[in-house]
Amino acid sequence: MLALVKSEWRKLLFVRANWGLLIAATFISALSVAVAPFILDAGEAGALLGLGIDQTAAIDATYANGISGYIFAIILGIMMMAGEFRHGTAVATFLTAPRRGIVLTAKLAVAAIGGLLMMLISTGISLIAGYVVLLGFEDAAQPSENLFVNTMIAAAISGAVLGVIGVAIGTLIRNQMLAIVGALVYLFVVDPLLLALWPDTGQFLPSGLITAMLSIDISAPELGFDTTDYLPALTATLVLLGYGAVFAFIAIATSLRRDID
Amino acid sequence: MSAIRFDSLVKQYGKQAAVNNLSATIQAGRITGFLGPNGAGKSTSLRCLVGLAKPTSGSAKILDRDYRELENPLTQVGTVLDSRGFHPSLSGRKNLQIVAASAGISDSRVDEVLELVELTQAAKKRMKNYSLGMKQRLSLAGAILGNPQILILDEPANGLDPAGIAWLRKFLRAMADQGKTILVSSHQLAEMQNTVDDVIIINRGQLIASGSIKDVIGEGTLEDAFLRLTEGAN
Repeated sequence: MLALVKSEWRKLLFVRANWGLLIAATFISALSVAVAPFILDAGEAGALLGLGIDQTAAIDATYANGISGYIFAIILGIMMMAGEFRHGTAVATFLTAPRRGIVLTAKLAVAAIGGLLMMLISTGISLIAGYVVLLGFEDAAQPSENLFVNTMIAAAISGAVLGVIGVAIGTLIRNQMLAIVGALVYLFVVDPLLLALWPDTGQFLPSGLITAMLSIDISAPELGFDTTDYLPALTATLVLLGYGAVFAFIAIATSLRRDID
Repeated sequence: MSAIRFDSLVKQYGKQAAVNNLSATIQAGRITGFLGPNGAGKSTSLRCLVGLAKPTSGSAKILDRDYRELENPLTQVGTVLDSRGFHPSLSGRKNLQIVAASAGISDSRVDEVLELVELTQAAKKRMKNYSLGMKQRLSLAGAILGNPQILILDEPANGLDPAGIAWLRKFLRAMADQGKTILVSSHQLAEMQNTVDDVIIINRGQLIASGSIKDVIGEGTLEDAFLRLTEGAN
């Protein structure tokens, strides 16, 4: 088992595209944190949300953008699995370790660690970027007391779970491009739509859960957005981990049955 | 003693039987050629043998066990199925290091096998920049990483130029001299005649002939025998 983890770890480190994902995750999330204060200060978006930069909720919302890189954690997981079928390396992988359940367990573990590290790094750098940018706003309020800790915990757990979900998607949809596009469409279109239209149900979906883990309260009914009714952070964490467990089970169960091309 | 045994192996895709009731035995310590026209079911049989495809019925066993039951299979069986199997944007060395790690094999052995297949100079080159011959040699290096007693090679000569084929012949001979069991599928019949001890010929998923090359050929060449046997079956 340890040997397989070492092998998966090498795949994670050796493949340059994975480093590209880390850079992209860091860039996107740091940019969205760094730009948010300027938008809030300009008035329009802030007015829509009913927030100004001198309010704690606005600062919390700014820093919350630091977890925007989670989409790249799911892509990392997808590439770790579907990439094996794309390049044909699945053949070598399952020839070396024909007990597929153990291979998948090792891959899920490394995807969880990879997703976690990616989110810790990208979110950590984004929070620092936000802090530096906000130094330039004299009237900026202070963030909530536990915001940084909550954000880093949410980043770590969401990164690990989304990495696992990515591997599961990669076992189900072996076409890497299709799997990535499907995940992007879901996270950017379907999930926010469900969250806006049916918030009672939507709050149990990944985006709602990750937001809930931040424990921030932002109410903007004009935008169909109200985090005050979201699940408590701990419950959201447990539900998200539950998603991870279900997807991990699906990954192991399906990979055991199908032939490898 | 048999090293590999197909026993009434059937593999169906929908209503199509890719392999139909194949039974054959590969003796230990010998080179066995696995011959048949395109689509005869050779690759499917080999995929069933190494656990990548699940037989519809019957069995394919190595050392009397399913491949999936072998302990650290890389140290017992080396397999080349096609030149895929390695990540194109990683170097040959890194590709082998990944495989080695999963089987608990040291990185120094990686350098050793790269030298054996004469790829030391290209070890740090990305695999996508390898020629077809180099890719085949990298696959062979992967197969011998664990110094196994059995080698299963699916069309290792495919696309090789004469120099590559000569190299492969030398390589197979060296492996055979070490007493390894080699099951090799190929279309290079003249080459096979000079290399193998035994042959198994299949067509449309069914066994047509098997035995020592002398018995199967009789008078004439392997190509004559192959054409006679496969045409007769059509």
